[in-house]
Amino acid sequence: MKSSLVGQAVILAALALLPAAGEAIYFRDKISWRSAIAPSEMVTVDQARGLGDTAIWIDARPDDEFASDHVPGAISLNEDRWNELLPQFLAVWSPGKKTVIYCSSLSCNSSREVARRLRKEAQLSDVFVLEGGWEAWVKKNR
Amino acid sequence: MNQTPNAQLRTPNAELSEHSTLGVQRSELGVGRYLWRFLDFVVAGIFIFAGLTKIFNLDQLIADLQHLRFASVFSDLGNLSLANVAEFASDIDNFKLLPWPVSVALAFYLPWLEIFCALGLLFRFLYRGALSILTLSVVAFTLAIIAAKVRGLDITCGCFGHASQHWSFPAHLATNLAILAALLTLGFSSRLRKSL
Repeated sequence: MKSSLVGQAVILAALALLPAAGEAIYFRDKISWRSAIAPSEMVTVDQARGLGDTAIWIDARPDDEFASDHVPGAISLNEDRWNELLPQFLAVWSPGKKTVIYCSSLSCNSSREVARRLRKEAQLSDVFVLEGGWEAWVKKNR
Repeated sequence: MNQTPNAQLRTPNAELSEHSTLGVQRSELGVGRYLWRFLDFVVAGIFIFAGLTKIFNLDQLIADLQHLRFASVFSDLGNLSLANVAEFASDIDNFKLLPWPVSVALAFYLPWLEIFCALGLLFRFLYRGALSILTLSVVAFTLAIIAAKVRGLDITCGCFGHASQHWSFPAHLATNLAILAALLTLGFSSRLRKSL
């Protein structure tokens, strides 16, 4: 086909767009475009409080932030001291318990990372990330 | 300029010599053509594999092939399921270079782009466009993994699905540079063949 290099590249890029768009429509309920966490893996402060005693709260923020203040009853589990803190969390965890993880705010990633590692490495289900993190909890409770 | 009529006539030996030189050139070109086609197929195969591992869950199939369990291959193909796009989007997001919505868009788009460009190489359809897209994407990806390494990020490239999940930085870099070298070779050979 006689066409310029850029023209050829544009045609290929446009062709690839079609199945990609189809796949995106097919997966529209399985992935969130707004946040890296799927809607089914996220809970609001009200939903998390509604879980009552079945919930274990995990603070994924750095140690100094946890030390200054945290959700009552929360356990610290951050990636800096993962190997040290994970056994402490597993000692409190029991089947049927739901885990709610939070970090500083809506834009932080550590709660998502801790949730991912708990699902993958500890093979836990019922792991949720608190929407809005510590900021949202403070706003609702103070 | 005046020329004698005989000056334009070629001697039979001169013609023979020219024919034999052309013959050698043609046969060399023929061998070279097969070699370039072979390289086209290898590079296309790599990118088709890379694209398919991101679209379909090929873990079981790859494991069976690695352990030479060929009997299970057909049942693996029958049970083929779509891969989790969120995982590839997370892999892109781990580079911390792009906002999440862009990572999601790329997770849907890049595997298909790889496959279409690979098909372009395979069938020599939009060949130069396919080569340039693949070369640019490999360069961009190589720069991204170098940047991630410099910033101390723990990245999972996901470039070949779970098969590349635990690759080290040197392994990533070596693979990328080898693919880049192959793409550049194909690019230069394409220009060379065009000029001949």
